[in-house]
Amino acid sequence: MSLEKYESVIGLEVHAQLMTQSKMFCRCPNQFGSSPNTNVCPVCTGQPGSLPVINKKAIELGVRAAVALSCEIHPESVFARKNYFYPDLPKGYQISQYERPYSTQGHIVVRLKSGDEKRIGITRIHFEEDAGKSNHESYGTLVNLNRAGVPLIEIVSEPDMRNAHEAGQYLRALHSILRYADICDGNMEEGNFRCDANISVRLRGTEKFGTKVELKNINSFKFVEKAIEYEIQRQVFAIESGEKIIQQTRSWNSGKNVTEVMREKEQAHDYRYFPEPDLPKLMISSKWFEQIKKEMPELPKEACERFKKAFELSDYDASVLTSSKELAKYFEAVVAHCKNGKASANWVMNELLGRLNAAGREIGDTPVSETQLAALIKKIDSGEISGKIAKTVFEEMFATSKDASSIIKDKGLVQISDPAALESVVRKIIEGNPSQFAEYKAGKVKLLGFFVGQAMKETKGQANPALLNELVKKLLDS
Amino acid sequence: MEFGTQTIQELLAGYRAKNFKPTEVVERYLKNISERDEKLNSFLQVRPEETLKRARTLDAQIDNMSTLPLFGIPLAVKDNFLVNGWQATAGSKVLSGYISPYTATSVERLEAMGAVVVGKVNCDEFAMGSSNENSAFGPVRNPWDLERVPGGSSGGSSAAVAAGLATVSLGTDTGGSIRQPASLCGLVGLKPTYGRVSRYGIVSYASSLDQVGPFSRTVWDSARVMEVMSGFDPRDATSSKRSVPKFTEELNTNSKRTFKLGVSRAWLEGVDSDVAKSFDSALEVFKKMGCEIVEIDLPHTKYALSTYYLIAPSEASSNLARYDGVHYGYRTQSAKSSEELYSRSRGEGIGREVKLRIMLGTYALSAGYYDAFYLKANQVRRKIQEDFEKAFTQCDFVVSPTSPSTAFKLGEKTDDPLKMYLSDIFTLPVNLAGLPGLSMPCGLDSRNLPIGFQLIGKPFGEAELFLASHQYEQARGQFALPSMLKGKG
Amino acid sequence: MLSREEVLKIAKLARLTLTEDEIAFYQKQLTRVLGHIQDLNQVQTSKEAFVQHVPNDAESFREDRAAPFANPEGLMRNAPAVENDSFLLPTIVEHS
Repeated sequence: MSLEKYESVIGLEVHAQLMTQSKMFCRCPNQFGSSPNTNVCPVCTGQPGSLPVINKKAIELGVRAAVALSCEIHPESVFARKNYFYPDLPKGYQISQYERPYSTQGHIVVRLKSGDEKRIGITRIHFEEDAGKSNHESYGTLVNLNRAGVPLIEIVSEPDMRNAHEAGQYLRALHSILRYADICDGNMEEGNFRCDANISVRLRGTEKFGTKVELKNINSFKFVEKAIEYEIQRQVFAIESGEKIIQQTRSWNSGKNVTEVMREKEQAHDYRYFPEPDLPKLMISSKWFEQIKKEMPELPKEACERFKKAFELSDYDASVLTSSKELAKYFEAVVAHCKNGKASANWVMNELLGRLNAAGREIGDTPVSETQLAALIKKIDSGEISGKIAKTVFEEMFATSKDASSIIKDKGLVQISDPAALESVVRKIIEGNPSQFAEYKAGKVKLLGFFVGQAMKETKGQANPALLNELVKKLLDS
Repeated sequence: MEFGTQTIQELLAGYRAKNFKPTEVVERYLKNISERDEKLNSFLQVRPEETLKRARTLDAQIDNMSTLPLFGIPLAVKDNFLVNGWQATAGSKVLSGYISPYTATSVERLEAMGAVVVGKVNCDEFAMGSSNENSAFGPVRNPWDLERVPGGSSGGSSAAVAAGLATVSLGTDTGGSIRQPASLCGLVGLKPTYGRVSRYGIVSYASSLDQVGPFSRTVWDSARVMEVMSGFDPRDATSSKRSVPKFTEELNTNSKRTFKLGVSRAWLEGVDSDVAKSFDSALEVFKKMGCEIVEIDLPHTKYALSTYYLIAPSEASSNLARYDGVHYGYRTQSAKSSEELYSRSRGEGIGREVKLRIMLGTYALSAGYYDAFYLKANQVRRKIQEDFEKAFTQCDFVVSPTSPSTAFKLGEKTDDPLKMYLSDIFTLPVNLAGLPGLSMPCGLDSRNLPIGFQLIGKPFGEAELFLASHQYEQARGQFALPSMLKGKG
Repeated sequence: MLSREEVLKIAKLARLTLTEDEIAFYQKQLTRVLGHIQDLNQVQTSKEAFVQHVPNDAESFREDRAAPFANPEGLMRNAPAVENDSFLLPTIVEHS
């Protein structure tokens, strides 16, 4: 199969639930995990006579997102009804935005594994309400409307991504921005950050887009890349075997690692959009806009700049440490406790993240807390243990979640910094190796390292390295 | 004492004088309903025990009645309003058995100020109709002539008050559904300015046109209901924040103003001769009161029918999508798939005229037709609004007959929807322009059927509407009663 | 004249099962009403000028305060069928 001949074109549609207290158009709690149909009222269950009223906070969070994604904000936009029948859509229409969304034309810049940066365009962001949930049982369908009416923004990207990695990086960057700005909780498992992908392939060098396939409801970052990768290969394979790509909606089966047809799209939907007559136009005054901008929480880009300056970090280190809000928070807490930015960065990036990645875990469930890691760093800085011992200690901390001090105590790993004790060790080593001592004295000064190594071995690595060095040199030269 | 035809003013005076208590009044009205409504079919639900319980709590408050401007007033509510614990069918089989889980803002405000709901009254299905013959629960008959319709869609609301089964009633008006039945039953009916009264808790027909309004015997009563129920509602984002005048006080203090009435002769062509005569003599009464009549031009009102029958059905097709048998209401017994469950529940539960309008609206909004139909209609709607804006630079009110004819016979227009739609040519433009319109009785035709006179005011000009019509009412004198009430005071 | 197929297409979009008599009736009535509506084409209009029906002093927003609805049983009581506190449809929903 000649994948290289083809280029894929990927656009993502992300639905992000907004972190409000109440729903988009009613005062029901915006809450996950309640028992079925308890966060419901006449409005979100579509009772006759009920009317929507816009949640101001939802608009503020949406505007925040638009600012964070460098989008244009329209002072006047329109809510519209999207008409279709589905059991979890109690009104028979979804209140959304159609011809006139509140925000268009933004972008984000993502960092690729090659080290390059890429700018991905954002076509539009619009407000809408979430639908309820249908559970399909053998005896029928159960509808729970707790989620119905939860505020959402839909963020539609330009078809700017060319492979699964780019799509994954875009999604991560977007996720990070929405989390940073307290717009969306970003929990993909709970469905408050959901992604659909539009994927097509074309021969390299051609302008015309191929027929696109919509990939629905991919619920983790890992799956997004896998699913897109699979879908690209499937399409290329189909074309190469002379098949035609059909416009359809597919879903990712994470058990079988394949995409499967959800529905064919022979006849396009006729949603009969029209302006929602129960709501006034959505007006975002410049005064309000300025206020929202003023109250913007720090964004990843800003955090990265701040980290570089405050902790004297490299571009790369700062961008890794600010890649997610949790990680940045974790790092800052470590620094706050140990007052050593450089060491904190090294420990978090090299030791902690390395082990977390290997274990497939997120910073959110790290076994080593911020204060525990800071305490370990402090012990190195005070000379209580060596950097080398610290790595052994950290390994144990990661495995057991125990404090460094108790591991050091249990294993007797405290550094030997007593000159008298070390001197007797060094004397013993010199006496035990007369020929090497003679060679040293004859001018082979390189052998200093040999004596230090032997002495370190003798102390099971617990000797204070600087002091040991000094003592070996003094005794050899005396 | 015989009850039924008293006004709010009269009942309040009686309560103040301790001539009677709310329970006595309410009992009497409930008795009227059980005795007279068999012939009319205006009530769809009464709950005598609930109603009397409520009346009894008011009995205990009689010494504080001055704080309750509608103390002990029997109120009938159209069955497309939600009142907690009461049914709300909107005249449709698809909502038969539906029990309201909450109360409409308008009703809540009236109840809080002393009104007593005596029952839910019949209407055309989903408020679509001009004769009340589209109700799934049978037609309502006109108390003035039982062979004739009471008008629609709020036919139960008008028949109930006209027959003395409630002192006042509530209706909704999307294209004339309060004013036309008020006209056909000899009552005062008001369609307020769009946004004046909360729509929260009324079954939506066409959201951009629907308004709640009262039926009453007098203008003063209408003003009293309006001053209690109007005003901003945080649950209705289309309700106005404008403050609400004390309408009844303005009637007392401002009673001698004169006005300019605008008449468009072109618009009035083709009305029944009795109606035309009565309208002209009403104009004479206004002239005698010192009012001036000016000729105005409303060139786009002739497009109101087409405009209305695109916009209202479009909105309705969406508003009525929720009646699909999933969360409440009628569900078919025979469905093998969910698609079939929606289509059959709707096909079996929704009546003929409503289906026609749903299909009309679905068509108008569908891909490829939106611009030519829905958008075009909204542009013409703006033209109609501009006609009125221009007219109001020349006059204080635009006036017309409320309906081109008096009450017609049952079955007379049911075969031809378009003919039925023409009953509303004078009322439709008012909804399209969002203006307040009031209908009041101005005479009887040769068959002794009431004729209505419509005053159309400026946006939020209800106070002036009341003032002008109140003055006319004083000059006209007490209006006649339907024959079924003759001798029943 | 609107064709039978067009009527059926609209009815399908609106999720309305029609009887044979109804199909014939709506074919005739829809054609009549749509014919009447053609008169709007005589009116010169501009694309920008359409009605804003919401009063300009309406309040657009509500503060973000949660308040649970007092009568959730009243909502569930009207459901045609309930199972596990959920609205029950006797059928499996197909993707539409």
